[in-house]
Amino acid sequence: MTDDIIEQIKQNVIQGRMDKEDEGFDGGMVGQPGVKELVQQALDMGTDPRRMVTEGLTEAMSIVGERFEAKDYFIPDMLASAETVGEAMDILAPHLAKSGMATKGKVIMATVKGDLHDIGKNIVSIILKGAGYEVNDMGADVTPERIVAIVTEEKPDFIGLSALLTTTMMAMKETIESLAEAGLRDKVKVIIGGAPTSAEFAAEIGADGYGADAFQAVRVVEELKQRS
Amino acid sequence: MLIIGERINATSKRVAEAIGNRNAQFLQELARQQVSAGANYLDVNAGRGPGSEQEAEDIKWVIDMVRAATDVPLSIDSSDPQAIKAALAHYRGNAAIINSVNAEDGKLKALLPLALEHQAYLIALAMDDSGIPKDVDGRLRACDRILEQASACGIPLESIFIDPLVLPLSVDTDQGMVTLRTLAEIKARYPQARTTLGLSNASYGLPLRGVINRALLMMAMQLGVDSVILDPLDERLMALVKAAQVVLGRDPFCKGYLKEYRKGRIKE
Repeated sequence: MTDDIIEQIKQNVIQGRMDKEDEGFDGGMVGQPGVKELVQQALDMGTDPRRMVTEGLTEAMSIVGERFEAKDYFIPDMLASAETVGEAMDILAPHLAKSGMATKGKVIMATVKGDLHDIGKNIVSIILKGAGYEVNDMGADVTPERIVAIVTEEKPDFIGLSALLTTTMMAMKETIESLAEAGLRDKVKVIIGGAPTSAEFAAEIGADGYGADAFQAVRVVEELKQRS
Repeated sequence: MLIIGERINATSKRVAEAIGNRNAQFLQELARQQVSAGANYLDVNAGRGPGSEQEAEDIKWVIDMVRAATDVPLSIDSSDPQAIKAALAHYRGNAAIINSVNAEDGKLKALLPLALEHQAYLIALAMDDSGIPKDVDGRLRACDRILEQASACGIPLESIFIDPLVLPLSVDTDQGMVTLRTLAEIKARYPQARTTLGLSNASYGLPLRGVINRALLMMAMQLGVDSVILDPLDERLMALVKAAQVVLGRDPFCKGYLKEYRKGRIKE
């Protein structure tokens, strides 16, 4: 029964079905419970919230990621799924706190100095949250000084830097140098992304990783976490 | 409606390579093709990344090559005011468009005097220091600010093309209406000013992007958008532009449409 409802949560996250109003991918699902109702039902049945997260939500998002990379899924599909995960986490948060489940790590996200493009960075933030990370999104046009300050204060495990312009990508290098000068470079892993950037560029400026899209970003974070 | 051809843009890998290798033939072919497909203006962007001085050198070279191949005026496209300054000094032609200014102080201070000095048109993006406002009011505030400062500088409203901007619909499906409502409001508030629209951002993240771009363009044309930045080599899009002119009563005796049809350029 428990396995059954966790599987249902997973399937509904994959379809991005928030609640019973949603007709689902093939239509005809109106009236059947969506993620919101299923999570509540599962809690009422006494299902372990940690299992709902790991076997339901996280597994679902990893399938969404695979489909996105295979180009079966598009950005709106992925956002719909992530939104159901966000809702589920809101419902589960107090129960998870009680059962002592820690987040997988803390990530600071920022679009670098001089760059106002925040859409890609926002998507990465949403998907990282969906994968179980605690994310602090600092917004756009974030100076190296502000990043140094927040790393000092919050001691995150990762920083994700984004830039869309060829003219602002060098601010990523500047940010990494500022972290080094402040003696913080080995305290935090830096991953970068954004249209003009690449794995080569990441290596060149001394970043720890590069993600071409939101799911690659999650994968890079997981790999770096395992290595450390 | 003015068609501004978007293809000569260094964010395209092949164009960036052609600029890097000084492959004039490639750029000139791209220029000629766009003009023959109906472009009234060509946008040129040489921002490959290696810094301001290089971009200034690159854009001057691109301007020379494109002007040697075609007669249409150019839209000089850069996020770097220094590159725009160098390009305009080098251009020496009529009716250049500066692409683009927005409501950021630094941009206005650098680019308004240049527009005046060179009597250039100006594309004004409805955004400010904190990015693209997500709502109509925010975008209109940015437009108000740009137009106020431009008037104070002595630039006539007729010289300004306001772009209401469009954010990716894949991320937020309310954004199509934000763009269209902003466009309608600009037309009402500033009837002497011109308007323009870069289409392709709308379809980012969706499959078959051209279909979305075409739908948006049709709706913007109904609201009377004065120019559009697009890929003139997209035959379906260009055929729809001609068809829309007919539907909107802007093509007497359907002459424009039939001319294209007889050239075999209207595709179903």
